[in-house]
Amino acid sequence: MSSHREAPAISKDPVADNTDTYAFVSPDDPGTVTIIANYLPPEAPFGGPNFFEFGDDVRYEIHIDNDGDGAPEITYEFLFHTRVRNPNSFLYNTGTISSLADPHWNRRQFYSVTRIKNGRRQQLGVDLACPPCNIGPASTPNYEALASQAIHGIRHGHTVFAGQRLEGFYVDLGAVFDLADLRPFQSLHVASMANAPGVNATSEFGVHSIALKIPKTELTRHGSMPTNVSDRKSVIGVWAAASRRKAHVRNGHNASVHQTGPYVQVSRLGNPLVNEVVIPMGHKDYWNTQPAQKEKQFLRYYQHPELSKLLPVLYPGVFPNLAGLTAARADLVAILLTGLPAGVVPNFQNFTGKHLSDQLRLNMAVPPSGSPSPLGILGNDLAGFPNGRRVFDDVFTIELRAFAGATYALVNPSYHPDSAASAVTDGLSPSSTRYLSQFPYLGTPQDGYHTAPLAAV
Amino acid sequence: MAELTRRGFVKSSAGAAAGVTFLGALAAAQADAAAGNRAEPVVAFVSDPARGEIALMVGDQEVVRRDPDLAARLTRAAHA
Repeated sequence: MSSHREAPAISKDPVADNTDTYAFVSPDDPGTVTIIANYLPPEAPFGGPNFFEFGDDVRYEIHIDNDGDGAPEITYEFLFHTRVRNPNSFLYNTGTISSLADPHWNRRQFYSVTRIKNGRRQQLGVDLACPPCNIGPASTPNYEALASQAIHGIRHGHTVFAGQRLEGFYVDLGAVFDLADLRPFQSLHVASMANAPGVNATSEFGVHSIALKIPKTELTRHGSMPTNVSDRKSVIGVWAAASRRKAHVRNGHNASVHQTGPYVQVSRLGNPLVNEVVIPMGHKDYWNTQPAQKEKQFLRYYQHPELSKLLPVLYPGVFPNLAGLTAARADLVAILLTGLPAGVVPNFQNFTGKHLSDQLRLNMAVPPSGSPSPLGILGNDLAGFPNGRRVFDDVFTIELRAFAGATYALVNPSYHPDSAASAVTDGLSPSSTRYLSQFPYLGTPQDGYHTAPLAAV
Repeated sequence: MAELTRRGFVKSSAGAAAGVTFLGALAAAQADAAAGNRAEPVVAFVSDPARGEIALMVGDQEVVRRDPDLAARLTRAAHA
Protein backbone atom coordinates (compact mmCIF):
# COMPACT_ATOMS: atom_id res chain seq x y z
CA MET A 1 0.00 0.00 0.00
CA SER A 2 2.70 2.46 -1.00
CA SER A 3 0.04 4.74 -2.42
CA HIS A 4 -3.03 3.92 -0.41
CA ARG A 5 -5.32 6.77 0.59
CA GLU A 6 -2.65 9.07 -0.79
CA ALA A 7 -4.99 11.77 -2.09
CA PRO A 8 -8.14 13.20 -0.56
CA ALA A 9 -10.56 12.22 -3.34
CA ILE A 10 -9.35 8.69 -4.00
CA SER A 11 -9.16 7.94 -0.27
CA LYS A 12 -12.96 7.99 -0.39
CA ASP A 13 -13.09 5.62 -3.38
CA PRO A 14 -11.05 2.56 -2.37
CA VAL A 15 -12.11 0.18 -5.16
CA ALA A 16 -10.48 2.56 -7.64
CA ASP A 17 -7.47 3.36 -5.48
CA ASN A 18 -4.15 2.11 -6.89
CA THR A 19 -2.01 1.01 -3.98
CA ASP A 20 1.07 -0.58 -5.54
CA THR A 21 2.46 -1.42 -8.95
CA TYR A 22 5.11 -4.05 -9.51
CA ALA A 23 7.04 -5.00 -12.65
CA PHE A 24 9.82 -7.57 -12.70
CA VAL A 25 11.28 -10.38 -14.75
CA SER A 26 9.49 -13.50 -13.50
CA PRO A 27 12.13 -15.32 -11.45
CA ASP A 28 10.82 -18.79 -12.34
CA ASP A 29 9.97 -17.94 -15.96
CA PRO A 30 12.62 -15.44 -17.10
CA GLY A 31 11.29 -15.18 -20.64
CA THR A 32 8.36 -13.28 -19.17
CA VAL A 33 7.67 -10.16 -17.16
CA THR A 34 5.11 -10.08 -14.36
CA ILE A 35 3.21 -6.88 -13.74
CA ILE A 36 0.98 -6.56 -10.69
CA ALA A 37 -1.46 -3.72 -10.09
CA ASN A 38 -2.95 -3.59 -6.60
CA TYR A 39 -6.10 -1.78 -5.53
CA LEU A 40 -8.46 -1.52 -2.58
CA PRO A 41 -6.64 -0.69 0.64
CA PRO A 42 -6.58 -1.87 3.37
CA GLU A 43 -8.67 -5.03 3.44
CA ALA A 44 -9.43 -6.36 6.90
CA PRO A 45 -9.59 -10.16 6.53
CA PHE A 46 -12.92 -10.35 8.37
CA GLY A 47 -14.61 -8.27 5.68
CA GLY A 48 -18.04 -9.93 5.64
CA PRO A 49 -20.83 -10.05 4.90
CA ASN A 50 -19.87 -8.05 1.82
CA PHE A 51 -16.33 -9.22 1.25
CA PHE A 52 -14.01 -7.12 -0.85
CA GLU A 53 -14.24 -7.19 -4.63
CA PHE A 54 -13.28 -5.16 -7.66
CA GLY A 55 -15.60 -2.40 -8.84
CA ASP A 56 -17.95 -3.37 -11.66
CA ASP A 57 -18.03 0.31 -12.53
CA VAL A 58 -14.26 0.84 -12.64
CA ARG A 59 -11.98 0.29 -15.61
CA TYR A 60 -8.64 -1.01 -14.35
CA GLU A 61 -5.62 -0.38 -16.55
CA ILE A 62 -1.98 -1.38 -16.91
CA HIS A 63 0.07 0.81 -19.26
CA ILE A 64 3.39 0.10 -20.95
CA ASP A 65 5.61 2.61 -22.72
CA ASN A 66 8.18 0.89 -24.93
CA ASP A 67 9.51 3.81 -26.97
CA GLY A 68 10.32 6.40 -24.32
CA ASP A 69 7.69 8.97 -25.28
CA GLY A 70 6.00 8.73 -21.89
CA ALA A 71 2.72 7.56 -23.42
CA PRO A 72 1.50 3.97 -23.52
CA GLU A 73 2.02 1.87 -26.64
CA ILE A 74 0.35 -1.05 -24.87
CA THR A 75 -2.59 -0.88 -22.47
CA TYR A 76 -4.37 -3.75 -20.77
CA GLU A 77 -7.93 -3.03 -19.66
CA PHE A 78 -9.78 -5.09 -17.08
CA LEU A 79 -13.57 -4.87 -16.66
CA PHE A 80 -15.37 -6.80 -13.93
CA HIS A 81 -18.93 -7.99 -13.48
CA THR A 82 -20.57 -9.54 -10.45
CA ARG A 83 -23.09 -12.37 -10.49
CA VAL A 84 -25.38 -13.15 -7.57
CA ARG A 85 -26.91 -16.61 -7.42
CA ASN A 86 -29.50 -15.87 -4.77
CA PRO A 87 -30.38 -12.25 -4.10
CA ASN A 88 -32.74 -13.34 -1.32
CA SER A 89 -29.86 -14.45 0.89
CA PHE A 90 -27.66 -12.02 2.81
CA LEU A 91 -24.79 -14.49 2.71
CA TYR A 92 -21.63 -14.39 0.59
CA ASN A 93 -21.60 -18.17 0.77
CA THR A 94 -24.03 -20.74 2.10
CA GLY A 95 -21.52 -23.57 2.59
CA THR A 96 -17.95 -24.56 1.89
CA ILE A 97 -16.60 -23.15 -1.37
CA SER A 98 -14.65 -26.00 -2.91
CA SER A 99 -14.33 -24.70 -6.45
CA LEU A 100 -14.86 -21.50 -8.40
CA ALA A 101 -18.15 -22.94 -9.70
CA ASP A 102 -19.33 -24.10 -6.28
CA PRO A 103 -23.11 -23.53 -5.89
CA HIS A 104 -22.54 -22.51 -2.25
CA TRP A 105 -20.75 -19.39 -3.42
CA ASN A 106 -23.41 -16.74 -3.77
CA ARG A 107 -21.55 -13.70 -5.01
CA ARG A 108 -18.98 -14.30 -7.73
CA GLN A 109 -16.99 -11.95 -9.89
CA PHE A 110 -15.71 -12.33 -13.44
CA TYR A 111 -13.69 -10.14 -15.78
CA SER A 112 -12.45 -9.52 -19.27
CA VAL A 113 -8.96 -8.56 -20.42
CA THR A 114 -8.53 -6.34 -23.46
CA ARG A 115 -5.21 -5.28 -24.92
CA ILE A 116 -4.79 -2.09 -26.91
CA LYS A 117 -1.49 -2.36 -28.72
CA ASN A 118 -0.41 0.40 -31.07
CA GLY A 119 -4.04 1.46 -31.36
CA ARG A 120 -5.48 -2.01 -32.06
CA ARG A 121 -7.94 -3.44 -29.54
CA GLN A 122 -8.00 -7.17 -28.93
CA GLN A 123 -9.83 -9.13 -26.29
CA LEU A 124 -7.41 -11.58 -24.68
CA GLY A 125 -9.87 -13.24 -22.31
CA VAL A 126 -13.52 -13.05 -21.29
CA ASP A 127 -15.60 -14.33 -18.39
CA LEU A 128 -12.51 -15.14 -16.35
CA ALA A 129 -13.31 -16.13 -12.78
CA CYS A 130 -11.93 -14.39 -9.69
CA PRO A 131 -11.44 -16.41 -6.49
CA PRO A 132 -13.49 -15.65 -3.40
CA CYS A 133 -11.92 -13.80 -0.51
CA ASN A 134 -10.29 -15.95 2.15
CA ILE A 135 -13.10 -16.27 4.67
CA GLY A 136 -12.04 -19.02 7.04
CA PRO A 137 -11.59 -22.78 7.46
CA ALA A 138 -15.32 -23.54 7.28
CA SER A 139 -15.91 -21.58 4.10
CA THR A 140 -12.61 -21.60 2.23
CA PRO A 141 -10.41 -24.51 3.36
CA ASN A 142 -7.38 -25.14 1.15
CA TYR A 143 -7.59 -21.54 0.05
CA GLU A 144 -4.42 -21.42 -2.04
CA ALA A 145 -5.54 -24.42 -4.08
CA LEU A 146 -8.90 -22.70 -4.60
CA ALA A 147 -7.25 -19.42 -5.57
CA SER A 148 -4.91 -21.20 -7.98
CA GLN A 149 -7.97 -22.20 -10.02
CA ALA A 150 -8.27 -18.50 -10.83
CA ILE A 151 -4.93 -18.44 -12.67
CA HIS A 152 -5.92 -18.32 -16.32
CA GLY A 153 -3.92 -18.74 -19.50
CA ILE A 154 -5.17 -16.27 -22.10
CA ARG A 155 -4.21 -15.30 -25.64
CA HIS A 156 -0.67 -14.58 -26.85
CA GLY A 157 0.96 -16.46 -24.00
CA HIS A 158 -0.35 -14.25 -21.21
CA THR A 159 -1.24 -15.56 -17.75
CA VAL A 160 -3.61 -13.62 -15.53
CA PHE A 161 -4.94 -13.64 -11.98
CA ALA A 162 -7.31 -11.15 -10.38
CA GLY A 163 -8.36 -11.44 -6.77
CA GLN A 164 -7.45 -11.07 -3.13
CA ARG A 165 -3.82 -11.35 -2.01
CA LEU A 166 -1.85 -10.68 1.13
CA GLU A 167 -0.45 -7.17 1.24
CA GLY A 168 3.17 -7.29 0.10
CA PHE A 169 4.22 -3.74 0.93
CA TYR A 170 5.57 -3.46 4.46
CA VAL A 171 5.92 -0.13 6.20
CA ASP A 172 5.68 1.39 9.67
CA LEU A 173 2.87 3.77 8.78
CA GLY A 174 2.19 4.66 12.39
CA ALA A 175 5.69 6.03 12.74
CA VAL A 176 5.88 7.57 9.28
CA PHE A 177 2.81 9.72 9.76
CA ASP A 178 3.63 10.62 13.35
CA LEU A 179 6.09 13.24 12.10
CA ALA A 180 8.39 10.56 10.66
CA ASP A 181 9.32 9.39 14.15
CA LEU A 182 10.91 6.28 12.68
CA ARG A 183 11.47 3.21 14.77
CA PRO A 184 14.26 2.35 15.61
CA PHE A 185 15.65 5.91 15.53
CA GLN A 186 13.27 7.68 17.90
CA SER A 187 16.12 8.74 20.19
CA LEU A 188 17.45 10.92 17.37
CA HIS A 189 14.05 12.47 16.58
CA VAL A 190 13.12 15.93 17.76
CA ALA A 191 10.45 14.28 19.95
CA SER A 192 13.03 11.97 21.44
CA MET A 193 11.83 8.62 22.78
CA ALA A 194 13.44 5.28 23.52
CA ASN A 195 14.25 3.27 20.40
CA ALA A 196 11.93 0.40 19.56
CA PRO A 197 11.64 -2.09 16.69
CA GLY A 198 9.61 -1.17 13.59
CA VAL A 199 5.96 -2.22 13.35
CA ASN A 200 4.51 -3.38 10.03
CA ALA A 201 1.24 -1.49 9.85
CA THR A 202 0.03 -3.50 6.85
CA SER A 203 0.57 -6.85 8.53
CA GLU A 204 -2.11 -9.43 7.61
CA PHE A 205 -4.18 -6.93 5.67
CA GLY A 206 -5.32 -7.91 2.21
CA VAL A 207 -5.46 -6.16 -1.13
CA HIS A 208 -6.98 -6.89 -4.53
CA SER A 209 -4.40 -7.69 -7.19
CA ILE A 210 -4.42 -7.90 -10.94
CA ALA A 211 -1.36 -9.94 -11.89
CA LEU A 212 -0.37 -10.40 -15.50
CA LYS A 213 2.54 -12.49 -16.77
CA ILE A 214 3.55 -11.43 -20.26
CA PRO A 215 6.13 -12.82 -22.69
CA LYS A 216 8.91 -10.27 -23.06
CA THR A 217 8.51 -10.39 -26.82
CA GLU A 218 4.97 -9.06 -26.43
CA LEU A 219 6.34 -6.00 -24.65
CA THR A 220 9.31 -4.84 -26.70
CA ARG A 221 8.91 -2.28 -29.45
CA HIS A 222 9.55 -4.66 -32.34
CA GLY A 223 8.81 -7.99 -30.71
CA SER A 224 12.44 -8.81 -30.04
CA MET A 225 13.80 -10.71 -27.04
CA PRO A 226 15.74 -8.27 -24.86
CA THR A 227 19.23 -9.61 -24.15
CA ASN A 228 21.45 -6.52 -24.17
CA VAL A 229 21.34 -4.45 -20.96
CA SER A 230 22.78 -1.41 -22.71
CA ASP A 231 20.12 -1.45 -25.45
CA ARG A 232 17.42 1.19 -24.91
CA LYS A 233 14.90 -1.20 -26.46
CA SER A 234 15.37 -3.52 -23.49
CA VAL A 235 13.66 -0.96 -21.22
CA ILE A 236 9.94 -0.57 -20.71
CA GLY A 237 8.02 1.90 -18.56
CA VAL A 238 5.07 0.55 -16.56
CA TRP A 239 2.27 2.16 -14.59
CA ALA A 240 -1.28 1.31 -13.59
CA ALA A 241 -4.44 3.38 -13.36
CA ALA A 242 -8.16 3.27 -12.71
CA SER A 243 -10.92 5.16 -14.52
CA ARG A 244 -14.59 5.83 -13.98
CA ARG A 245 -17.37 7.01 -16.27
CA LYS A 246 -17.62 10.75 -16.53
CA ALA A 247 -21.31 11.02 -15.60
CA HIS A 248 -23.00 9.27 -12.69
CA VAL A 249 -26.68 9.83 -11.93
CA ARG A 250 -27.99 8.29 -8.75
CA ASN A 251 -31.64 7.43 -8.53
CA GLY A 252 -32.64 7.68 -4.93
CA HIS A 253 -35.83 5.66 -4.98
CA ASN A 254 -34.49 2.33 -6.29
CA ALA A 255 -30.74 2.56 -5.58
CA SER A 256 -29.87 2.38 -9.26
CA VAL A 257 -27.01 4.37 -10.74
CA HIS A 258 -26.78 5.41 -14.36
CA GLN A 259 -23.21 5.81 -15.60
CA THR A 260 -22.34 7.11 -19.01
CA GLY A 261 -19.80 9.02 -21.03
CA PRO A 262 -16.12 8.32 -21.56
CA TYR A 263 -13.89 6.90 -18.86
CA VAL A 264 -11.82 9.47 -16.98
CA GLN A 265 -8.77 8.59 -14.92
CA VAL A 266 -9.24 8.84 -11.15
CA SER A 267 -6.08 7.10 -9.93
CA ARG A 268 -2.64 6.15 -11.21
CA LEU A 269 0.57 4.71 -9.86
CA GLY A 270 4.01 4.15 -11.31
CA ASN A 271 6.78 4.60 -8.78
CA PRO A 272 5.87 3.93 -5.16
CA LEU A 273 5.22 6.82 -2.79
CA VAL A 274 5.22 9.58 -5.43
CA ASN A 275 1.73 10.93 -4.87
CA GLU A 276 2.05 9.98 -1.22
CA VAL A 277 5.12 12.05 -0.30
CA VAL A 278 6.30 14.02 -3.35
CA ILE A 279 3.15 15.72 -4.59
CA PRO A 280 1.72 18.36 -2.22
CA MET A 281 -1.80 18.21 -0.82
CA GLY A 282 -3.20 20.86 -3.14
CA HIS A 283 -2.25 18.89 -6.27
CA LYS A 284 -2.81 15.28 -5.23
CA ASP A 285 -6.31 14.88 -6.69
CA TYR A 286 -5.27 16.67 -9.87
CA TRP A 287 -2.15 14.50 -10.15
CA ASN A 288 -4.32 11.39 -10.15
CA THR A 289 -6.22 12.66 -13.19
CA GLN A 290 -3.13 13.44 -15.23
CA PRO A 291 -1.52 11.14 -17.79
CA ALA A 292 1.92 9.91 -16.78
CA GLN A 293 3.53 11.67 -19.73
CA LYS A 294 2.56 15.09 -18.37
CA GLU A 295 4.72 14.80 -15.26
CA LYS A 296 6.88 17.76 -16.22
CA GLN A 297 4.32 20.09 -14.63
CA PHE A 298 5.25 18.56 -11.23
CA LEU A 299 9.02 18.64 -11.78
CA ARG A 300 9.77 21.16 -9.03
CA TYR A 301 8.41 18.79 -6.39
CA TYR A 302 10.88 16.11 -7.44
CA GLN A 303 13.73 18.59 -7.64
CA HIS A 304 13.07 20.10 -4.22
CA PRO A 305 11.12 17.49 -2.24
CA GLU A 306 9.51 18.54 1.00
CA LEU A 307 10.61 15.33 2.72
CA SER A 308 14.28 16.14 2.15
CA LYS A 309 13.79 19.51 3.83
CA LEU A 310 11.95 17.97 6.76
CA LEU A 311 14.47 15.29 7.69
CA PRO A 312 17.16 17.71 9.00
CA VAL A 313 14.49 19.51 11.02
CA LEU A 314 12.98 16.37 12.51
CA TYR A 315 16.37 14.81 13.24
CA PRO A 316 18.50 17.71 14.53
CA GLY A 317 22.18 17.34 13.72
CA VAL A 318 21.72 14.01 11.94
CA PHE A 319 21.53 15.28 8.35
CA PRO A 320 23.84 18.35 8.17
CA ASN A 321 24.90 17.75 4.56
CA LEU A 322 21.32 17.22 3.47
CA ALA A 323 20.38 20.47 5.20
CA GLY A 324 22.90 22.26 3.03
CA LEU A 325 21.80 20.60 -0.19
CA THR A 326 19.76 23.19 -2.06
CA ALA A 327 20.49 22.15 -5.65
CA ALA A 328 17.80 20.53 -7.77
CA ARG A 329 17.74 16.80 -7.08
CA ALA A 330 18.77 15.44 -10.47
CA ASP A 331 19.22 12.04 -8.86
CA LEU A 332 15.55 11.80 -7.89
CA VAL A 333 14.46 13.06 -11.30
CA ALA A 334 16.55 10.32 -12.93
CA ILE A 335 15.36 7.56 -10.63
CA LEU A 336 11.68 8.46 -10.84
CA LEU A 337 11.12 10.31 -14.11
CA THR A 338 13.65 9.32 -16.79
CA GLY A 339 15.43 6.21 -15.59
CA LEU A 340 19.16 5.97 -14.92
CA PRO A 341 21.31 6.61 -17.98
CA ALA A 342 24.33 4.43 -18.73
CA GLY A 343 27.43 5.28 -16.71
CA VAL A 344 25.70 6.10 -13.43
CA VAL A 345 25.54 2.55 -12.09
CA PRO A 346 28.11 0.13 -13.56
CA ASN A 347 26.68 -2.31 -16.13
CA PHE A 348 23.20 -0.88 -15.87
CA GLN A 349 20.80 1.59 -17.42
CA ASN A 350 17.05 1.93 -17.52
CA PHE A 351 16.94 5.26 -19.30
CA THR A 352 13.89 5.90 -21.45
CA GLY A 353 14.92 9.32 -22.72
CA LYS A 354 14.50 12.90 -21.62
CA HIS A 355 10.71 12.85 -21.55
CA LEU A 356 9.65 13.12 -17.91
CA SER A 357 7.11 10.50 -16.92
CA ASP A 358 6.34 8.72 -13.66
CA GLN A 359 6.85 5.07 -14.58
CA LEU A 360 8.46 1.98 -13.17
CA ARG A 361 11.31 1.43 -15.62
CA LEU A 362 12.33 -2.16 -16.13
CA ASN A 363 15.39 -3.23 -18.07
CA MET A 364 14.15 -6.65 -19.13
CA ALA A 365 17.64 -7.81 -20.15
CA VAL A 366 18.74 -7.90 -16.51
CA PRO A 367 18.19 -11.49 -15.38
CA PRO A 368 16.53 -12.32 -12.06
CA SER A 369 18.97 -12.31 -9.17
CA GLY A 370 20.02 -15.59 -7.60
CA SER A 371 20.52 -13.83 -4.27
CA PRO A 372 18.22 -10.83 -4.34
CA SER A 373 18.69 -7.85 -2.05
CA PRO A 374 15.51 -6.12 -0.86
CA LEU A 375 17.45 -2.86 -1.29
CA GLY A 376 17.63 -3.46 -5.04
CA ILE A 377 20.22 -1.36 -6.80
CA LEU A 378 21.22 0.30 -3.49
CA GLY A 379 22.06 -3.26 -2.37
CA ASN A 380 24.03 -3.95 -5.60
CA ASP A 381 21.19 -6.07 -6.97
CA LEU A 382 20.46 -4.78 -10.48
CA ALA A 383 17.25 -6.82 -10.75
CA GLY A 384 15.49 -4.80 -8.05
CA PHE A 385 13.98 -1.35 -7.57
CA PRO A 386 14.41 1.08 -9.22
CA ASN A 387 14.92 -1.42 -12.01
CA GLY A 388 11.22 -2.21 -12.02
CA ARG A 389 9.96 -3.33 -8.64
CA ARG A 390 9.73 -6.81 -7.13
CA VAL A 391 7.10 -7.74 -4.56
CA PHE A 392 9.62 -7.91 -1.71
CA ASP A 393 11.70 -4.83 -2.52
CA ASP A 394 12.03 -2.51 0.47
CA VAL A 395 10.94 0.52 -1.52
CA PHE A 396 10.23 2.60 1.56
CA THR A 397 13.81 2.32 2.80
CA ILE A 398 15.26 2.74 -0.69
CA GLU A 399 13.30 5.92 -1.35
CA LEU A 400 13.82 7.24 2.18
CA ARG A 401 17.56 6.91 1.74
CA ALA A 402 17.39 8.53 -1.68
CA PHE A 403 15.43 11.48 -0.30
CA ALA A 404 17.95 11.64 2.55
CA GLY A 405 20.67 12.25 -0.03
CA ALA A 406 22.20 8.81 -0.42
CA THR A 407 21.83 8.88 -4.21
CA TYR A 408 22.75 12.51 -4.88
CA ALA A 409 26.44 11.63 -5.13
CA LEU A 410 25.57 9.62 -8.26
CA VAL A 411 25.05 12.90 -10.12
CA ASN A 412 27.40 15.10 -8.06
CA PRO A 413 30.47 13.17 -6.83
CA SER A 414 31.58 16.14 -4.72
CA TYR A 415 28.58 15.68 -2.44
CA HIS A 416 29.14 13.53 0.64
CA PRO A 417 25.94 11.95 1.91
CA ASP A 418 25.36 12.04 5.65
CA SER A 419 26.25 8.74 7.27
CA ALA A 420 22.63 8.47 8.39
CA ALA A 421 21.46 8.54 4.76
CA SER A 422 22.69 5.00 4.21
CA ALA A 423 21.38 3.76 7.56
CA VAL A 424 17.91 5.23 7.89
CA THR A 425 15.06 2.73 7.64
CA ASP A 426 11.68 1.99 9.16
CA GLY A 427 13.11 -1.14 10.73
CA LEU A 428 11.29 -3.69 8.57
CA SER A 429 12.27 -6.36 6.06
CA PRO A 430 10.55 -8.79 3.66
CA SER A 431 10.09 -11.16 6.59
CA SER A 432 7.43 -8.72 7.82
CA THR A 433 4.99 -10.41 5.41
CA ARG A 434 4.78 -13.50 3.17
CA TYR A 435 5.22 -14.15 -0.55
CA LEU A 436 4.90 -16.97 -3.05
CA SER A 437 7.83 -18.17 -5.15
CA GLN A 438 5.58 -18.50 -8.19
CA PHE A 439 2.87 -16.53 -9.95
CA PRO A 440 1.11 -14.44 -8.69
CA TYR A 441 3.98 -14.03 -6.19
CA LEU A 442 2.02 -12.08 -3.57
CA GLY A 443 1.18 -14.25 -0.57
CA THR A 444 -1.97 -16.09 0.42
CA PRO A 445 -4.35 -13.65 2.09
CA GLN A 446 -5.00 -14.05 5.79
CA ASP A 447 -8.38 -15.64 6.46
CA GLY A 448 -10.90 -13.73 8.52
CA TYR A 449 -11.51 -16.48 11.09
CA HIS A 450 -7.92 -16.48 12.34
CA THR A 451 -7.39 -12.76 12.31
CA ALA A 452 -5.73 -11.43 15.43
CA PRO A 453 -7.18 -8.24 16.87
CA LEU A 454 -5.13 -5.17 16.08
CA ALA A 455 -4.13 -4.76 19.73
CA ALA A 456 -2.37 -8.12 19.58
CA VAL A 457 -0.02 -7.04 16.80
CA MET B 1 -32.06 -20.04 -9.97
CA ALA B 2 -31.85 -17.03 -12.22
CA GLU B 3 -28.69 -15.02 -11.77
CA LEU B 4 -28.62 -11.30 -11.40
CA THR B 5 -25.79 -9.06 -12.49
CA ARG B 6 -24.91 -5.80 -10.84
CA ARG B 7 -24.87 -4.15 -14.24
CA GLY B 8 -28.40 -5.38 -14.69
CA PHE B 9 -29.37 -2.92 -12.04
CA VAL B 10 -27.87 -0.02 -13.94
CA LYS B 11 -30.91 1.45 -15.56
CA SER B 12 -32.13 4.73 -16.82
CA SER B 13 -32.79 7.14 -14.03
CA ALA B 14 -33.18 10.83 -13.49
CA GLY B 15 -31.49 13.16 -11.09
CA ALA B 16 -29.51 16.29 -10.66
CA ALA B 17 -25.76 16.68 -10.89
CA ALA B 18 -23.46 19.68 -10.73
CA GLY B 19 -24.56 22.39 -13.08
CA VAL B 20 -27.73 21.64 -14.98
CA THR B 21 -28.16 17.97 -15.84
CA PHE B 22 -31.00 16.33 -17.68
CA LEU B 23 -31.24 12.63 -18.18
CA GLY B 24 -33.35 11.22 -20.92
CA ALA B 25 -35.03 14.54 -21.40
CA LEU B 26 -33.32 15.20 -24.66
CA ALA B 27 -34.36 13.59 -27.88
CA ALA B 28 -31.90 10.95 -28.96
CA ALA B 29 -31.55 12.86 -32.20
CA GLN B 30 -29.58 15.49 -30.36
CA ALA B 31 -26.86 12.95 -29.75
CA ASP B 32 -26.48 11.76 -33.33
CA ALA B 33 -22.75 12.32 -33.26
CA ALA B 34 -22.46 10.15 -30.19
CA ALA B 35 -23.33 7.18 -32.41
CA GLY B 36 -24.98 5.41 -29.51
CA ASN B 37 -28.07 3.31 -29.30
CA ARG B 38 -30.95 5.75 -29.73
CA ALA B 39 -32.82 4.04 -26.92
CA GLU B 40 -29.99 4.77 -24.49
CA PRO B 41 -30.38 7.54 -21.94
CA VAL B 42 -28.53 10.75 -22.68
CA VAL B 43 -26.94 12.96 -20.06
CA ALA B 44 -26.64 16.63 -20.92
CA PHE B 45 -24.30 18.79 -18.85
CA VAL B 46 -24.47 22.54 -19.07
CA SER B 47 -21.55 23.61 -16.94
CA ASP B 48 -21.71 27.28 -17.86
CA PRO B 49 -25.04 28.39 -19.38
CA ALA B 50 -23.56 31.71 -20.46
CA ARG B 51 -21.10 29.97 -22.77
CA GLY B 52 -23.89 28.06 -24.49
CA GLU B 53 -21.98 24.77 -24.49
CA ILE B 54 -23.66 21.48 -23.78
CA ALA B 55 -21.75 18.26 -23.13
CA LEU B 56 -23.83 15.27 -24.26
CA MET B 57 -22.91 11.88 -22.91
CA VAL B 58 -24.27 8.62 -24.24
CA GLY B 59 -22.66 5.18 -23.96
CA ASP B 60 -18.94 5.74 -23.75
CA GLN B 61 -19.06 8.88 -25.86
CA GLU B 62 -19.11 12.58 -25.10
CA VAL B 63 -19.78 15.29 -27.64
CA VAL B 64 -19.75 18.99 -26.89
CA ARG B 65 -22.25 21.12 -28.80
CA ARG B 66 -22.24 24.90 -28.90
CA ASP B 67 -25.91 25.82 -28.98
CA PRO B 68 -26.68 28.95 -26.93
CA ASP B 69 -30.40 28.71 -27.64
CA LEU B 70 -30.65 25.10 -26.42
CA ALA B 71 -28.47 25.88 -23.41
CA ALA B 72 -30.71 28.80 -22.54
CA ARG B 73 -33.87 26.70 -22.89
CA LEU B 74 -32.45 23.94 -20.71
CA THR B 75 -31.43 26.46 -18.10
CA ARG B 76 -34.87 28.06 -18.09
CA ALA B 77 -36.49 24.63 -17.84
CA ALA B 78 -34.26 23.73 -14.90
CA HIS B 79 -35.35 26.79 -13.01
CA ALA B 80 -39.00 26.68 -14.02
